[in-house]
This record gives sequence, C-alpha cells and structure tokens, in this order.
Amino acid sequence: MNKNLIIKNSRIDSDHLNILIIDDNEQITKMLTTFLELKKHKCTVANDGKQGLILIHENKYDVVLLDLAMPEFDGYAVIKALENEDMLKNNKIIVFTASTITKDELDQLVSRGVTSYILKPIDIDLLLSRIIESATS
Amino acid sequence: MTAESLEENMFESDNPLNELNRLLIKYDLTPNQAKVYLYLSKIGIKTASEISKSLKIPRTETYHLLSTLQQKGIIFSVFGKPTKFNAVGIDESIVILVNNEKNRIAELEIGKADIIKLWKTIPKYTGNKEKLEDNKFQTLQGRNSILVKLEQMIKESSENILVLGTESDFKKFYHTDFTNLLKKTKSELKILTDYPNKGIHIFEDVPSKKIKKLDDKSREDFCFIIKDDSEVIFFISNSRSKDMIAIWTDSKTFVITLRSLFSLIWKKAHHIDESNAESLLGSEITYEHRLREIEQEKNILNYLQKNFKLSENKLGVKNE
Repeated sequence: MNKNLIIKNSRIDSDHLNILIIDDNEQITKMLTTFLELKKHKCTVANDGKQGLILIHENKYDVVLLDLAMPEFDGYAVIKALENEDMLKNNKIIVFTASTITKDELDQLVSRGVTSYILKPIDIDLLLSRIIESATS
Repeated sequence: MTAESLEENMFESDNPLNELNRLLIKYDLTPNQAKVYLYLSKIGIKTASEISKSLKIPRTETYHLLSTLQQKGIIFSVFGKPTKFNAVGIDESIVILVNNEKNRIAELEIGKADIIKLWKTIPKYTGNKEKLEDNKFQTLQGRNSILVKLEQMIKESSENILVLGTESDFKKFYHTDFTNLLKKTKSELKILTDYPNKGIHIFEDVPSKKIKKLDDKSREDFCFIIKDDSEVIFFISNSRSKDMIAIWTDSKTFVITLRSLFSLIWKKAHHIDESNAESLLGSEITYEHRLREIEQEKNILNYLQKNFKLSENKLGVKNE
C-alpha cells in the first residue's frame, strides 16, 4: 500500500463515511458491511434497486455502491430514475458489477453522471481506496 | 367505362372487387352471394336473368342467391315484370351484416341455457371409465377459433399469464379483445416480445413493466401463451404463414417445459424501456458473472478472516 493511500485512509477513516450498498448478493453485502463497519464507516444495505432508490431519496450518503445486474429493478433502472430526477450527479454513485460489460458502456455511464465503476472481483484494499477516492472527489 | 366493359372486367384477378369479394365472405356471405351483391352494387338495377347471364351463375342458383340476400336485407326487389333487383349501399350493408351476426350470437347465447337444461335431463352413460383429466390436446385452426380459446384462457386465469412471441405473431389479433383482456387481467402478466422501435405496438396499452424484450437470439419461430401453469396454446404456424394453426393442451409435461423456457428467457431479458446496451448486459447474467461474484465473496472473506479473525459463521456466510 503506498504512502498517499495510507494518509488518505487514515483521514477518511476518521470521517466515518455513510455508505449505501445496493446489491442483491446477500453474502457480498453482509461481508462488505462487516468490513466497512470494522473500518468505522456506516453501512446501509438495499437488496434491490427499488429499495435502494427509496433510501437515496430519504437519506444523504457519501457513496452509493450500486450493482447493475439485479432481478426486476436493477442498477440501470436506479441510474435512469436518478437521471430523470436530476439526482444522478448530486450523488456519488459507484457502479460495482460482475457483468461482462464493455469499457465503452461503463464510460458511457460515467458520462451520464455516475462517479466511477469497479469491476468484481476486486482486491478489498483497492475497493476501499476507490470508495474513498470517489467520496472525496 | 361502359356498363358492358365494367361487367366484363369486374371479377378479373387484378380487380379490387375480387379482394372485396374475399372480405365479404367474412361477413357470412358465400362467394357467389358476395359476387351477386357486388355486381348489383356497381352495375345497379338488374333482372335475375341478366345477373345469371353476366355472372355465369345458373339461373336457379341465381334466384336462390337473390332470395338469401333479400332475407339478409342487403338487396331489395323492384316490383315489375320481370322483377328487378338492386343493392343497398355498402356502408348500410356492412352495418346490416354485422347486426345480423350480433343477433345470431345473441340468439346462441339465449339458446345455451336451454341446451344445458335439456342436456342435464339425459342420464349420463357411465360405461367409459377412462380418465380424461390431463393431457388433452385440441387443434385450433383459423384466427377465430384461436382467438376464442385465448380469450377464454385469459378470462378464466386467476394466477398468471405468460405470453411469448413477436409482434408479427400477434398482429392478427389487432382490434380484438385479446389485448384489452390482457390489460384488464388481475393475474400476474408477463409478456416477452420483440417490441420493434418503429410502428404501432400491439401491447402498447399494457404497462411496460410487464413486458420484456426478446433479443435476437431468443427470437425463434415459437409463440405460446401459458395460463396459470396449467394450460398452454402454442402456435404451429409462424407469423409468416397465411393460415393460423395452434394447439391447446393441458399436458403437464408441455406446460412445464414451455414454462421453464419462458422463465429462462424472462430472467435474461430486460424491460422494454431499457437501452440496447442494458439489454445486452441483462443477457450476460451467466455462469461467468456468478463466478466473478463468488471470487469477490472470497476476496472479502479472506481479508476478514486474515485481518480480523472472523469466522464464516459469524459473517453469516452460506456455503455454495
């Protein structure tokens, strides 16, 4: 881990980020929550897009980790709904996906207002640093 | 054009009257009845003998045709010797023919109760003990017989209706109660269709969340409708065929097979208001996708176990 990252980490750790995870994979959400809470961040989980969208409307999150492939109301539907309400750019949305989506398609999402994207699987330290980068960008 | 030349060319293959003749058959006219009616509509007042000669229909048959058309109310006779005939205008005639059909159906409805009452008075023959509960098959030929069965299935459905087929498969049901019933059904409705970007959509009145788009790979030549996981109609002839043929069955094997196929495609498909890229993604929730998810789970789990000494049980992790 490089020096800058440690500095960043320590600064953000004390900031207690408020993170929303929207993912239908309960194992990932449970473990990720455990990990992030151990790192002193506050985590909220929504297991589908609809629930996630309600939480975004009702609360202010520093970062939203959004899975794309979920049954029924998926990540795309969340992005579209936020876009329609001009709320996409006001939220730090990180697309967190295991789908074999192309880089062009992911870049297209960023140009629409998504903050960044992370492809699964990713090393957990790197994931945290990406969350922090997005939260502080 | 003179009346004589008009008469000569009337029923030649390229004349639109031929198409009209075909269309009128749908209104319960025989080809020759439609021919006589169209002839009188275009040529005007004529005797039976003149009609017979011009249309090359035997005289006795011509009298019979004229009598039937009079009973239907779309031609009338002019008193004189010999009696002459003329046609009621096409607009009015169509209204009359439609009303005739409506009245006939109303009479059939009224007669239904009498038939059932009479039927119940006849003791049931109990010699044949063969069980006929499952595996019934019925061949449905022609748009009307298919439509009647489809409407019956939708009306009787109480759980779910699954529809799979391209727009062109269903275009023959435009202006029927089919889509109206789908729109009103209280059952859970799922439609998988191609939903092309241009043109009128047969399912446009159905809420978009109930429709998913068939991708090119799944757009095969099959079309079926499943009711309550217990009955299915599947089309034997595809949208390009002129004649519609379908099979209705309550065979569990058939229903389960088609139900599984539907579920598989539905899971991969995306809703119609999503872009192409999004649809592509939807079709990729596959084995590879799952593997990446598992790999991600492992990454987090390993980290937690290594750095925080947390057990799998404590983390609530299920074994795959």
